[in-house]
This record gives sequence, C-alpha cells and structure tokens, in this order.
Amino acid sequence: MRERLAAFAPKTVVVVTTIVLVILLVLSVLLGREVLRQLSDLSTATTDNVQWNMSQSEVEHLRLQAATKEALEGGSLDLVRRRFDVFYSRVATFHESPLFAELRSSGEGAKTLARIQNRLNNFVPLIDGPDRLLRDAMPDFAVELVANGRDVRTMTLLGLVAHTQSADAKRQGMSQTLQRLGWVVMALFLALALTALMIGCMYHRGRILTAASNATAARMQAMVTSSLDAILVIDTKGRIMSFNGAAESIFGYSRAEALGKKMVDLIVPDHLRSLHLETMARLLTADKPQLMEQGRVQLEAKRKSGEVFPVEQSITLSQSGKDTVFVSYLRDISARIAAEAELTRARDDALAGERAKANLLTVMSHEMRTPLSGVLGSMELLETTGMTPEQDSYLSAMRVSGELLLYHVNEVLELSQLEAGVSSELPHSFDLEELMLGLVGSQQATAQAGGNSLTLRCRLNGQPNVLGRPRQIQQALLNLIGNALKFTKDGTVSVEVERQTASGQVEFLICDTGAGIAEADLDRIFEEFVTLDASYGRISEGTGLGLAITRRIVDALGGEITAESELGEGSVFRVSLPLPAKKLDQKEALLQPVEAHFWKHILVVEDNDVNRVLLTKTLQRLGHQVTAAAGGAEAVDEVAAGQFDLILMDISMPGVDGIEAYRRIREQKLAEGVDIVALTAHASVDDHARILEAGFAEVATKPISRSELAQLIIRHTGAKQQVAPEPEASEIHQFMEALGSERAQGFLRTFFQDVPGLLGELEKTPVSTKALQHEAHRLAGSAAVLGLDPLRRCLLDLEEAEQGTRLPQAPLIQAWSEAQQVLAPHLTPSS
Amino acid sequence: MKRWKFALSAIALAVMPVMGFATDPNSDAQVLLQVEIQSTAGSEGVITQFNLADLQALPTVSFETETIWTEGVQRFTGVSLAALTRHLGVNEGTLLFQAINDYSAEIPVSYAVDGGPIVAYQRNGALMSTRDKGPLWIIFPFDSNPAYKTEEIFSKSVWQLVRIVIKPDS
Repeated sequence: MRERLAAFAPKTVVVVTTIVLVILLVLSVLLGREVLRQLSDLSTATTDNVQWNMSQSEVEHLRLQAATKEALEGGSLDLVRRRFDVFYSRVATFHESPLFAELRSSGEGAKTLARIQNRLNNFVPLIDGPDRLLRDAMPDFAVELVANGRDVRTMTLLGLVAHTQSADAKRQGMSQTLQRLGWVVMALFLALALTALMIGCMYHRGRILTAASNATAARMQAMVTSSLDAILVIDTKGRIMSFNGAAESIFGYSRAEALGKKMVDLIVPDHLRSLHLETMARLLTADKPQLMEQGRVQLEAKRKSGEVFPVEQSITLSQSGKDTVFVSYLRDISARIAAEAELTRARDDALAGERAKANLLTVMSHEMRTPLSGVLGSMELLETTGMTPEQDSYLSAMRVSGELLLYHVNEVLELSQLEAGVSSELPHSFDLEELMLGLVGSQQATAQAGGNSLTLRCRLNGQPNVLGRPRQIQQALLNLIGNALKFTKDGTVSVEVERQTASGQVEFLICDTGAGIAEADLDRIFEEFVTLDASYGRISEGTGLGLAITRRIVDALGGEITAESELGEGSVFRVSLPLPAKKLDQKEALLQPVEAHFWKHILVVEDNDVNRVLLTKTLQRLGHQVTAAAGGAEAVDEVAAGQFDLILMDISMPGVDGIEAYRRIREQKLAEGVDIVALTAHASVDDHARILEAGFAEVATKPISRSELAQLIIRHTGAKQQVAPEPEASEIHQFMEALGSERAQGFLRTFFQDVPGLLGELEKTPVSTKALQHEAHRLAGSAAVLGLDPLRRCLLDLEEAEQGTRLPQAPLIQAWSEAQQVLAPHLTPSS
Repeated sequence: MKRWKFALSAIALAVMPVMGFATDPNSDAQVLLQVEIQSTAGSEGVITQFNLADLQALPTVSFETETIWTEGVQRFTGVSLAALTRHLGVNEGTLLFQAINDYSAEIPVSYAVDGGPIVAYQRNGALMSTRDKGPLWIIFPFDSNPAYKTEEIFSKSVWQLVRIVIKPDS
C-alpha cells in the first residue's frame, strides 16, 4: 500500500491535489469577494436612515399640526408654511428614495403614500396663496391633518415592517454566503492538510532514499576500499582522482603520491605510453567510446619500483552532468600468468612422458617382432629338414603359439597407433563389392578349418564404388569375421552388405550361429582388454583388443557398431558406415582395364641386398614381374625408364632416401596414378605420420610376410588374386627359397667372409669409425634376413656406438660362433 | 360643508397666476445662508450672510451622483465647502450645519476638500425649493468617491441648509 502510494504520489496525487487546491482557491476568492461586497453594502449603510426618516416624518407632521393649532389661535402663518414645506420635502423623500422602494411596492404603502401626497397637493395652492385665504382654510387644514396623521402613522409602521423584512433577507444572504465561505475554507483547510501530509510522506520517503543512497555510497566506498583489484578514477586529462588501497599495494605508490598525478607518468610502462595517450585521445573525441565495451583487456603496468607486470584492465566511462571520468579496474595477474606457465610446462612434461611411453611401446613391440620373425622363420626351416611326425606335431604347436604371439604384438602396436589417432590412409573411391569378395575369400580357408560355411551377400544397388577408407573397413570387418569364425564351430557365418537407400550409409551384418554372448556382457565387449568367461577362454584366446580396435575404427570412420546375441544361438554384429556411392575417378578408371591380367609390374627399392633379393623372389613367386633398385637415385631412373603398377620403397637408405626419391618421382610426374608404398623397420607412430605426410599411399612395416605382401598388392593395384594360403616360411628358409640354392650359397659364403673381416678390423682398431659403422649396418641387415638375431643385435650395437669409443669384441665373437652353427647346415662346401 | 369650502378655495388658489413660495429663492436679495464664525466655542461669533448671487459669485462646482434619498442620477451644482471656507478664511475647526427643520450635523473643516462636499444650490439645472430639499443642500460626491457612502457622511448631508456655524477646535 505504502509502495503504491509512493508510486502514486509523484503523478496523479499531485495533479489531483493541485486541481482541487486551485478550484478551492478560486471558490474562496469568489466567495470572499462576495462577502466583501456584502460587507461593503453594510458599510455603505443605506439602512439606518430609514428609521430616522420615518420617525422624522411623524415628528415633522406633529410639528406641522402644532403650528396649525397655533395659527388657529392667531399664531404665525409663516411657521405653518415652513412646517408644511419641511413635511412635504420629507414625503417627497418617501417617493423618491430607493430606501423606501419596498414600501412603495407594497400595495397598502403605495396607497397610503398616495393619500398623503394627495392631501398635501390639495393644500399647496392655499399654502402658496395669500395669508387671508390660508387663515380661512386653517380649521379645515387642521381637520385634514388629523386624518393625515393617521396615514403617516400607518406608513411609518408599514415602512418599519418592510425594512425589517429587507434587513432580515440581507442578513440571511450574508449568513448563507458566510456559511458557504466557511465550507470552502474548511475544504481548503482539509486539502492543505492533505497536501501537508503528502509533503510529509514525500519528505519521509526522501529521507529514506537519502539514507539508502548514503548507505549505498558507503557500501560503494567500502567495496572500493576493500577491493582486491586496483580501482583508479581518472579525469579527462588523465589525472588520477581516486586511488584505492589495493592500488597502493599493487603499484607501490601511496594515495597521497598518486592523487593528481598523471596516470601515464605513474603506472604505464614506457613502451605503452604512446598507445595509452592515443587511446585516451580517441576515447575523448569519439561520441561513443568503443574501448569501453571491450571488457577485460590484458595489458602491462609498471610498479613504483619500475617492475613491469601483467595486468587485466577494464575501463568504464562514468558520466554525471558535464563531468566525465574513467573508472579503471586493474588486476595484478602476474601470479596467474606464472601459474598458467607452470601448468603449460607440466602439461608439456606429461605429454612428453606420454609420448615416451608410446615410443617405448612401439619400440618394444618392434623389438619383439623381429626375434619372433626369427623364431617363426627357423621353424619353417626346421620343417624342411625331414622330421619325424612327432617332431612335426611339436613344431606345428610351436608355430601356432609363435603366430599367436606375433598376432598379439601386432594388435598392441595397432592399438597404440589408433590411440595416437593416426589415420593411415585418406578417403578415396574403391570397389566395395570387390573388397568384400577378397575379404571373404581370404577367410574361406579359416572357415573350412572350423567346419564353417562362410557366405557373402552384397546388395549395393548396382553402385559398388564408394568413397571411404578401404583398408580400415577391411580391418574392422576382418576382425568381426575372424571373431565370428573363431567362436563358431561347424556352423554358418554369413556376411551381408546392404546400402540404405535413404542415407549414404552402408550396413554390414556379420551373423554367426556360434556360442553367442550373454546379454549382460553385450555392453562390455567393445571395451579394451575384455575377454568373456572361461568357456570362451578355452575355445580361443586373445588379448581382448579385437572388438575394441574394431569399435575405434568404426568410430573414426563416423559409423556405428552394435551387437545382438543369444547364448547358444549366435550373434549378429551390425556395422553402419557412411559410404557415399561414387563413380570411379579418372585414375581408377584408367587402371580398370589393367586388371585383365592379375600380374603386376612392381619396382622394389631396397638398399639391403638380402632384403631386396628376398622381396624380389617373394613377389616373383606371387606371380608378379619385379624390377629391383638398390637406392633412391636408381629407383628414380628405373621409374623414368619403365612402367610400373606399384612401387615398394625402403625409407632409410644411404644417399637419396625413400622420401626424397618419392618427392623426385612425384615432381617429375614419372609414375602418375601409381601408388608408392613405404617399407620401413620403424614402427613408431611419429614415423608413420611423417611418411604418410610425404604422400606415400601406405606404410608397411618390415618384416613383411608373403600374405601381407599379397594383400598389399591387391589393395594398391586391384589385382584379383587369390593368395594360396601357404605356411609362412622362416627368414632363412624364405631366403634360401627366394634366392635359389646357388645364389644363397654365394651370399652365405660372402657373409662368412665379411663377418670375420669385420672382426679382424675390430681386433686391429677396437674403436668405432664411420666405415666400421657402415659395414656393421650392412651386415646387421643380412643377419636379420638370415634370422640371426643375436648377431644382428651385436652388429647394431656396433653401428650405434658413438664414433671414437672403444668397442667390446667378446659379444660379437660369441654371437658369430652361434650364428656359424645355425648357418653351417645350409652351407654346402664350395666346389 | 367645510370640506367643500376648503376644496373651492384650493381651486381658486391653483388658478392664481403667481406660484409663490413662502421664501422665494429667486429673489437674489433674500439671504439663503448665514455663516457664523465663532472665535471661541459657544460665544457669539461673526455672522456672514450669503444670498444666491453671493454664492454664485464663488467658484462653481458641478458633479453627478446618485443619493440614497433620490431616484436616479442627479446633477448637483454649487459651491464647494473648500472654496467657501477658503473664502471665509477658515482652515480649521468644526463646521456645524443647521437645517430649517432644526436638524444639525458637524464635520471637521478638514473634510472640506476639493472634490469633496459642496453646498449645492442647483439640482438637475434648477434651483431647489424647500419642498424639494432646498434651497441649499450639503452634497458629497458619493459616486466618484465611494468612501463617502457611509452612515456618518449620509448624516452629514444636510438638506434645507440655512446656517453654518464654524466653531474653533476646543
């Protein structure tokens, strides 16, 4: 209510009150004038004469009668005449004077007056006539006067009544007017009282507002004083008008020192002076200050000690009347900046640690893979030595275990690559149907081994060409198909590919009639390192990374993967990937006819002789035509001279390395449309990224098995080639096979000379030299090909030792003697 | 019988050629006003007599006003009391007006100012008979100066004036 009243008061109430007051004032003025007029009427006093006149008329009439009586007794006639005239004059007054208007207007008064006048008129000729006649008429005159005396009396009484009535009316009118005035004055009083009350209320409110305003000001002052930020008020000339406590402690100036000084002289660092002055000038000239609205700005400020430190500043413009001031809030953020720097450092350290861990993982798995290759290679060689069936079965068991181990190592390596987010290929268009045929075809052998039938159904609406990343799709599906086959015995695994017409999605369904997965486990199967219950463990073993890798790949491709399953009935894995249909681009269209023949012309670039020969032989056995180059420069020459379908390029080579060779080939447009695949022993994520960045179609990690090689060729040339599943041979076996007995023997003999040669060198000068490092590198490559890992490692140690350091010979001698034993059976005496 | 005789004699008088007055104001020689100037109050003073010609010889003042005794606007002409007192060499004391019917009223001499009361001898351009409140009438200019419209001044407006006594202030 009070609030409403308060809100009401300034407008309506004031207006209404003012109007009422004005009306009352006008009324009281009007009535006051009326009262004054009536008072003035009273003061002009037209009334009292009436009574005097009336009584006088009787008196004068009596005096006339007295004079007449005297005249009858012989008295003076002149006196009669004078008394007559006086009486006549009085009666004339009754006729004329407005005082007797009421009397004249009343019927009886008028008649009486007329009778009196009539008698007087009758006597006038006698009064004005000679004395003789007048004296004779005296007795009659006396008689007439008696009658006249009665009329005068009547008239006097009538006049008195009329006068009394008139006076009464006047008094009544006066009384009414005064009464009205009284009411108006009372109303005026009330209105004034109301106004006074209102003014009182307003005063009270004003006091409350003032108190509130004072409290606000005090709070404001307290806030400014206790603020942790420096608050400076600057006038338009740049002088400091206010300097709070925080400003004192931040800048080191006392209030007294700072007040009145120019801000630019005190706290602006020298290198910001001109900027500050410009900004101030611009703010003052601009109609609408722009900087004001920028909020916080990070700047630098200067302490009294001259120290420059980072601050955060926000400026507001305060305008009251003509006065304009800048209120500047400054926060010392040097601590925060320092903390941020510390945080950044900590993060960098952590990232470096993470990288180191990833590197370690990569190096470890790489280091595990090479000896594993040696083990597996040796076992393949062992198979050819004519073993008993018992030995053969042990060997088979060993090989299965070894391959499993290799598989695990590869999975860990792959996960670390996925974690680093490396996308090893760029999206391009490919034939999805073909990819699926190849994929399912490659798993047929496995399916048969498990007694399963593996079927494929493609419904791509006649648009087999899609845009995507075929290698990753292949890998994801391979994992799923492999899983399905692994957990299904004597059942059916069906693969269905269907294009969802509405979206650009392609749906892959992998259904099996295997053991199935419990519903409770369905949610977990895509997590890392999850292997389900013991029964599965008995059926198959795994790192539990397969589905996790698959999920990651699908996620990276922007797709979805779901699984449905029923224990004992089977499982369905559904993968949905965005694969828009695409026509083959020109390059692929050109390549298409080449697919008529499955063999390809492949250029192998490898500086290591053994590796080069091994790779060449392997490819030839796969049915391809191979040209070999021993270095980058040679490779460029070969590419310029011939036509190739695929180039396999070693990266680390002396002279022109792989990346440089790639660059030259692409620059000179020597092999347009031909994929160049990098071969490297470096399995680190960083290296892969660097190589892919250079433009290589893919990075293949050495050692590379025959089946991997075959798949790689399919991927990059589109050769429709079914790779016969054949057991992986060990390095030395592959080597012997690839080179042919004669050349292998030659190579071995050379090796048998080169290593003792190196040992001899070492004996002479047991210090690392460049030539020695080079020789060690070359022999290490040969040792790797031959699966002589301890020897290889010793040679690598020699290679990696810093030049000028002293080298131990014992390990090499030991390793060489072991290697000799391994190699001896393969070495036939030279003819 | 008596009434008839009275009526006949009245008619006879009415046809008489002379419309005489008991005191004829038209006769210039007749004294209209006596002014007695007393040197001390109550003592016998010097009497000055004025006939109509004497009054008319003094400066004439004329104004129109309504009065409470007459009907409508009247034009009065006469000698202002100021001029009369000046003429008589009086500038202080009290003026006592006396009328034919023995009415009297007093005013201080200081009331006799220019633009103030006059001794009127003409009303609406004609001399005034006794029956017409003449021959002399003290009249204040009520209309031009409403301050005169008071009971007191009304009582000082003496008609049928015959004598003025000028008394010194005691």
